[in-house]
Amino acid sequence: MNQVLAVIGCATVLLAVGMWLSLPRGRAWGRSLGWVLVAASVGLLASQVPLVGDWASASVFFVLAAVTVLAAVATVTFRSPVYAAIWFGLSLLGTAGLFLFQGAQFLGVATVVVYAGAILVTFLFVLMLAQPKGQAPCDQTSWAAPLSALTGALVVGILTLTVVSVFQNPTMENRPRAALELTVLENEILAEQHVAHLGAQLFSKHLVAVEVAGTLLLVALVGTVAIVSQIRRPDEWRGQSHG
Amino acid sequence: MDELTLLENYLIVGALLFGIGLVGFFSRRNMIVMFLSAEMMLQGVSVSLVAWGRYHNDWGGQMLVIFILTVAACEAAIALAVVLTLFHKKGSLDIAIWQQLREENQPLYVESQMLQLPAEPEAHWPRLTPAGVEPEPDLEEVTHRTHL
Repeated sequence: MNQVLAVIGCATVLLAVGMWLSLPRGRAWGRSLGWVLVAASVGLLASQVPLVGDWASASVFFVLAAVTVLAAVATVTFRSPVYAAIWFGLSLLGTAGLFLFQGAQFLGVATVVVYAGAILVTFLFVLMLAQPKGQAPCDQTSWAAPLSALTGALVVGILTLTVVSVFQNPTMENRPRAALELTVLENEILAEQHVAHLGAQLFSKHLVAVEVAGTLLLVALVGTVAIVSQIRRPDEWRGQSHG
Repeated sequence: MDELTLLENYLIVGALLFGIGLVGFFSRRNMIVMFLSAEMMLQGVSVSLVAWGRYHNDWGGQMLVIFILTVAACEAAIALAVVLTLFHKKGSLDIAIWQQLREENQPLYVESQMLQLPAEPEAHWPRLTPAGVEPEPDLEEVTHRTHL
């Protein structure tokens, strides 16, 4: 247990220092070192969990997880917001792969279509509409980078420590072994008719929630149009000072 | 495949995504990157939910992720509309411009750590010989772009 604590503590410190070094600070030095430290920290965390299945599925999982997490780090630390958005797209593809690896086929496809296809492209549109020429000063510095890196690393460290210690606890043998003992026929999520079962659940048990979500989309649409239509036209705008 | 191991691995990936998104949301100053980080925190939660759903053989996790997708789409639409409005008011995506909205006892953020980075080298674009009639400049385009 002490060894686990030490390794996860090391990973937390490495993550905090690495994130701080690689965040934009108005200086160029140390960014590569920061990325190396973050990668080392992720490796340390990965060393604390058992392998998933045999080596083939474990390597698939580790490649997907590494792509997701490292692309996420790049999203947060790249100075140019366009690059950040594209790295976020790669992270989304990794997440979709993780969903597929879990057998959640519909969610994997929906993540690519809705997130990477629609939401991310909307972000890029707004970036093109609203990006000043060249690198803006606000992209080169950060608010309180050491403190926020420490906060994020502490969150990761505490969550990981909890997960690892709970799962390595010997009394966990008495846990409710929900999915472990199911036969193939009983297991709905991994059934061949996965998407059909998902749709049946969605439109029977969660029908009210679907209606509410549809209403929410409509309200968001109306609200967006209302907000954007208040932007004044450039000729009305010109008379005022800006800055 | 051992379900318990799978759950443990996915929970750690979810925690990492959440923590990295948290760092980005706290520290970045570009409004759009802040919203990207918020979306990344949602992704971390989604990964954990799908793993729990698989472990318990329950559809609830995947259902919640479907609704998270819906809410994320609404959030992105409204957030981007607000960002566009703010950008048109001040001509910058910097969140520090709006720091008069902070709490009364919070200190003013002063730009202190800014260093002048070396300017990017001038790009050499190929030039074509002008031909034909020069078109009239689009007045609306010109007046709209000058404030950027």
